[in-house]
Amino acid sequence: MPGHPDARRSFALTRRAALGGLGMIGVGGLARGARAEQEPLRFGLAMPLTGGQATYGQDQVRAAQWGLDAVNAADGVNGRKLAAIVLDTQADAQTGIQAVNRLVSVEKVPVFVTAWSEVVKAVAPIANDGKIVELSVGANSPEIARLGDYVYTTFPLADVDITAVAEYSATKLGKKRAAVLYINNETGITAAQVYRDTFTKAGGQIVAYEAYDPKATDWTGQILKVRLATPDIIHIQGLVADTPQLIAQLRQLGLTQPISSYSAVYNPKLIQQLGAAANGVIATSLAPGTEDSPAVKAYVERWQKEVGRPPNGLPYTQYLYDAPFLVAAVLKSLDSAKKPITGENFRAEMLGIRSFDLPLTGKLVINPNHTVKKPVYLMEVKNGAWSELAVVS
Amino acid sequence: MLSPLILIQILWTSLATSSCFVLFALAFALVLKVNRIFNFAQAAVMTTAFYAAYTVVGLASGPGWAGLLAGVAGAVAMSAVLELFGFRALRRRQASSMFVFIFTLIVSELISYVAMLIYGTWPATIFPSLFWPVTLVGTIAVSQWDLMALGGTAVVLAATFAFLRWSRTGQSMTAVADNPDLAEFYGIARDRVFLAAMLLSGLIAGFSMFLYGTRAQVQPGSAIELLLFAVAATIIGGIGNLAGAVVAAFVLAIIQNGSVLFIPSEWQGFLLYAFLFLAIVLFPRGVRLPQRKRLVRRTPAPALGPAES
Repeated sequence: MPGHPDARRSFALTRRAALGGLGMIGVGGLARGARAEQEPLRFGLAMPLTGGQATYGQDQVRAAQWGLDAVNAADGVNGRKLAAIVLDTQADAQTGIQAVNRLVSVEKVPVFVTAWSEVVKAVAPIANDGKIVELSVGANSPEIARLGDYVYTTFPLADVDITAVAEYSATKLGKKRAAVLYINNETGITAAQVYRDTFTKAGGQIVAYEAYDPKATDWTGQILKVRLATPDIIHIQGLVADTPQLIAQLRQLGLTQPISSYSAVYNPKLIQQLGAAANGVIATSLAPGTEDSPAVKAYVERWQKEVGRPPNGLPYTQYLYDAPFLVAAVLKSLDSAKKPITGENFRAEMLGIRSFDLPLTGKLVINPNHTVKKPVYLMEVKNGAWSELAVVS
Repeated sequence: MLSPLILIQILWTSLATSSCFVLFALAFALVLKVNRIFNFAQAAVMTTAFYAAYTVVGLASGPGWAGLLAGVAGAVAMSAVLELFGFRALRRRQASSMFVFIFTLIVSELISYVAMLIYGTWPATIFPSLFWPVTLVGTIAVSQWDLMALGGTAVVLAATFAFLRWSRTGQSMTAVADNPDLAEFYGIARDRVFLAAMLLSGLIAGFSMFLYGTRAQVQPGSAIELLLFAVAATIIGGIGNLAGAVVAAFVLAIIQNGSVLFIPSEWQGFLLYAFLFLAIVLFPRGVRLPQRKRLVRRTPAPALGPAES
């Protein structure tokens, strides 16, 4: 009550406390403001902004920028802003080397994010020599795990999903005879070998193993050889440009077996292109979809609202969105421990933390052997729609 | 492995799928024969045709026939632009054939980049569906696309060769191809003939690209790769020999498809270049069948001197 002495005392105390509290908030706010006004912490982002892969690269950079905005909106790195220095690689090795040289020598960032296997490989010596961490986000060549001490990936390499689909086909689906059709280039050869070895190890038999030319538009010869081998399942390791047409021709030539492939075919367009012929196609996804995660659903809705379309290569953009969160988490840890922010310290801290909970791609564990552990979502076309077949951890 | 049914299936499907490549080769060989240009800008014509048809059918949900018209019109328009503002200007400046060749390469890349900027790099097809209904004839799978492609190609081939053989413009093309200076001396306007050859080539390329885009996915850079096959067929068939290019395209497609029955499939892509290499080295004028000896009536030479009595 206001007229009571105790009440007055209580008010006075409250007022004093409030003033003190305000003062503390003011000091804290000033300190925080001072940190926010400090030069932001920076990392590099070397992606294709022009050239043949720009359509994907630009969407991925946009996703990374959105991730960065979200990090900064949530207090940044202990109150300090995080900023990205974005440079163009054109998905080309030479241009990538120029961009990363600048990030290392001029901008002196402790860590940079890049993608496209050719670029990731080409700039690896610069990262290793300069002791700057290279984070490959999206490239999936298995060689990336062997590029040196400072090269890490946040994206599962090609063998992760192929191993999962081969093992699942042999053990859970009970398929004993598999045929493999693969494109005769870097994308197909290594991954087809992984499928063949895993399927055989799991007790299955490879009854046909046929390559096709990257420029091929007709696969009759290979398909007829596969038909003669009478497989239980057919695995295709191709590109997004040729796989739908290859599946169409398989079905047209009377092969009705289940067809497995990998993340390249996991898109709604496949069903539109093949209609009922798409039923029984199994693909992989290395990131949760809109049905698995409300955050991904909101993210895709944001694309529709702000850009007017879904992103090109949705899963890849999810990984790029998450990259600033990983960088911020490591920098926060370094900052809290008052360690200098260098490439060497960043690497040590990142390996010390190892496990990161990321908003759009979920839990990420970085293994000491430079690979990552992620669940593989096996998706199957059933009744004209993609549905989740299994999650292989 | 080599059952007759398998061979018939390979033969049939190869014939059908090679039909587009046959027409690409015909369009390329025609310009090479008449205009004497290694026209790599045909890739730009093909890209224009595909994206014109894709815009009408794939994006605007127009009917297929409208897409065909748009594709052919786009290809013909691009060919006209190339001839009127490119090749004709270069001829007037007496540009070397190497310079013209480089110009065609630049145009093909330029249009590829323009298409990429407008349509992106994601593969596209003219119709939303790639799957064509199939009928089994015995055990041979025959798709509706096969019939449409083979029928369309047969009509275009017949019409083109009839045009060249019997129409006045077609005969002028043959005359200019044989000897441009002599043809001009006889009153044939060379520029008009060059334009006509480009338009006819554009029409063929536009039609064949429409066919191709109804079965396969296309990206902005696809046409450049597709054209390599046409170039190989033209060289193997014999430069200046339209029928040779057509036959070479058919034979190459069948050999490539059937080869996997005899050799490891990894070598399939190598075959085209091996044939091309051998053709250039061994048959620089193209592979020609031996001609039948003409029957020549031998008549005794008339005596020049006075007859002996």
